[in-house]
Amino acid sequence: MPLGDFADSRAFTLGVELELQIVNRHDYDLAPGAADLLRVNAKRKKMTADVKPEITSSMIEVSTGICERHRDVSEQLLEVRDALVEDAGKLNLRLCGGGTHAFQDWSQRRIFDTPRFQQVSTLYGYLSKQFTVFGQHVHIGCPSPDGALWLLHAMSRFMPHVIALSASSPFVQGTDTGFHSARLNSVNAFPLSGRSPFHLTWDAFTVYFEKMRRTGVVESMKDFYWDIRPKPEYGTIEVRVMDTPLTVERAAAIAVYLQCIARWLAKDKPFQPQEDDYLAYTYNRFQACRFGLDGEVVDPVTAVHRPLRELIRETIEAVEMHAIELHAERGLAAIREALAQEPGTDADWLRQAQGKEQFLPEVVRQQCVKFEGSDGR
Amino acid sequence: MYDALLNLVTAPWTLQPDTLLGAALLAVIAALAGEALWRVLRWPRVIGYVIVGTALALSGRGVEGTEPALRVVIDGALALLLFEAGARLRLKWLARNPWLLATSVAEALATGIAVFMVLRLLALPREVAAPLAIVAVCVSPAVLQRVVGELRAAGQVTERLLALAALNTLYAVLAMKLLSGGMLLSDPATWLNALSPVLFSFFGSILLGAALGEGLALIARRFDLREDNSIVLLLSAVLLALVVAKTLQLSTLLVPLLAGMWLANRSERPWVWPRHFGSAGSVLVLVMFVSVSSAWTLEALVASAGIALALVATRMLAKGVAVLALARPSGLGLGQAACLAIGLTPMSATAWVLTMDFVARHPNVGAQMMPVLLASLALLELAAPLALMGALRAAGEVDVRPARTANVRVRDAAG
Repeated sequence: MPLGDFADSRAFTLGVELELQIVNRHDYDLAPGAADLLRVNAKRKKMTADVKPEITSSMIEVSTGICERHRDVSEQLLEVRDALVEDAGKLNLRLCGGGTHAFQDWSQRRIFDTPRFQQVSTLYGYLSKQFTVFGQHVHIGCPSPDGALWLLHAMSRFMPHVIALSASSPFVQGTDTGFHSARLNSVNAFPLSGRSPFHLTWDAFTVYFEKMRRTGVVESMKDFYWDIRPKPEYGTIEVRVMDTPLTVERAAAIAVYLQCIARWLAKDKPFQPQEDDYLAYTYNRFQACRFGLDGEVVDPVTAVHRPLRELIRETIEAVEMHAIELHAERGLAAIREALAQEPGTDADWLRQAQGKEQFLPEVVRQQCVKFEGSDGR
Repeated sequence: MYDALLNLVTAPWTLQPDTLLGAALLAVIAALAGEALWRVLRWPRVIGYVIVGTALALSGRGVEGTEPALRVVIDGALALLLFEAGARLRLKWLARNPWLLATSVAEALATGIAVFMVLRLLALPREVAAPLAIVAVCVSPAVLQRVVGELRAAGQVTERLLALAALNTLYAVLAMKLLSGGMLLSDPATWLNALSPVLFSFFGSILLGAALGEGLALIARRFDLREDNSIVLLLSAVLLALVVAKTLQLSTLLVPLLAGMWLANRSERPWVWPRHFGSAGSVLVLVMFVSVSSAWTLEALVASAGIALALVATRMLAKGVAVLALARPSGLGLGQAACLAIGLTPMSATAWVLTMDFVARHPNVGAQMMPVLLASLALLELAAPLALMGALRAAGEVDVRPARTANVRVRDAAG
């Protein structure tokens, strides 16, 4: 499939996708319930947000429509969450956020039964099952393809911020990994993951893409698992590094944090992206995954090491005017609150719960209660 | 109990199922048969146990139900399985999905009424048809637990099978108690003497079940259930409660079932323990399946085959119609509902114990009731687990892997 044209989209519009875990209410292991959940959900009045199957049958993806601002994202996510939580209840299932399931055994996962998923599964073997990880993706509208690529690379240095803010995958297959986001370690195993190549014009990018396609390694943009990738069909860039946070409120806040940064970068052009931005990219990404908000990232130009908590605070100040323009104040306030809080990341919260309960199924149950946003039924 | 032990010690060489030699040999054969079926056909091992039991019955060496040692093992194994069945039943699900509760009530009522009417049409007396109809209501949680566990089935059909079976077993046991009490109470000669034991047995079972559930919750909370020692403690607690139930003449079916339900519903906290409480439990379960599936004779089957066939067919039909009728509102696809209906076929140890206990109190009914029940069990013994397996496969809920990795997970289910 050729790359195609870059669709029109309005600048700084948002789209949010969340991959959610489906668990049973018996031992809180992942449960193959996607098809049932979709069937029950299909009986409802159509919502703005969409619900889709994902690669394994114990995962479901919700995606918002095109949103202008924080309130749209929040409202749509809350609506679809409440609907799905109710539907899951009818099926004796439960939903939760989190980048990984705490104790699932990846060898037990079933691959959702559609040709594309089966094909991915055949190609990647155990990786595709190990890839039972749950992420948040944020689309940001870009009016021009060159602008999109410029923004994509300019945003790369903020990836550690959102990795730390969303980090919610400390446990993998029953063990504490020591990471705040262990999910990204699974993503890293894929051959075409990581940063995207440094091309600032759509023409240059198209040449690169066609070269790759000629090798037969990729067929379409879907085969790239980059941290940020252009999505020409939507006219967006898609940020994919985040874990699915434990709450949709946090997910909405992170989405508008990215939205504000995008507007700030595009309007004020505080710096020009360059290849050297990526010198410390994987190191910084590792710091965020491993230590969350306490991670120390390095500026490749000045060589100064600084904690993420501080950098995020500074960024919030830098984007303040844009936040007002975008009506994003509430979202940023939620981020500020998270920075001040102990536990700061969702991963910390999960670790605390496990420290108290010493029983991961109970931790997953509490994760469900947190996601539901109620006292848990 | 004492007799049983004595029997084991004094006559271990007699080739009967309840001697040490007989039991050990049978266990070896059953385990091998189960393993062979699993390796070659990927059939649940329990089918192998049932085949050995069936062979035993055909050779005329089946159990009669009066062997005390075997009864202890059967009651013990059944208690474990019923406890597990109860512990899977979250009552709040029924509140969140009232159509499921409606399905459960409908399938139980439809089965009871339809079977009663058909048996009456076949000229069985009322006092025989009624208990048989009640027994027909319950679906064996034992077979379900076992097949679902071995095939590692998961999904809506599995989940609902387990819930419906736990519920209809509960209904059947309670209804049987009521019937038994009612029959004793309706006789002017005995009613006054019968009143207090009936009430005692009814409420005592409930109380003991709750107490056991609470005790197990305490153990589960304080001990690490991944340790063998804690499992032994759990297992012993169940067996202890069983002995108390037997001594006080309470229901050995109701107590563990209610204990499981109590544990599952007293708090939201999930509980996880190795299936059947580890290997000790598995031995009991194996012996139970071999014994119960041998508890019939060819003569009884031939004599009552017609009535039994009618009972079994009516039962399936009634359950099927109820499940299919309420599938849509309860959130099930029609294909899934068909699988669910077929999955509700198993009838085994629970039905047998239920009948044995009833007949012990009402010997006059036994002579007519027992052959029909045994013939029905004989008909379903092999067919039902196979039907269940087929249903789970058709529903796409079975996840069976090559033999090498198949055994890995039992212990670490706790994570």
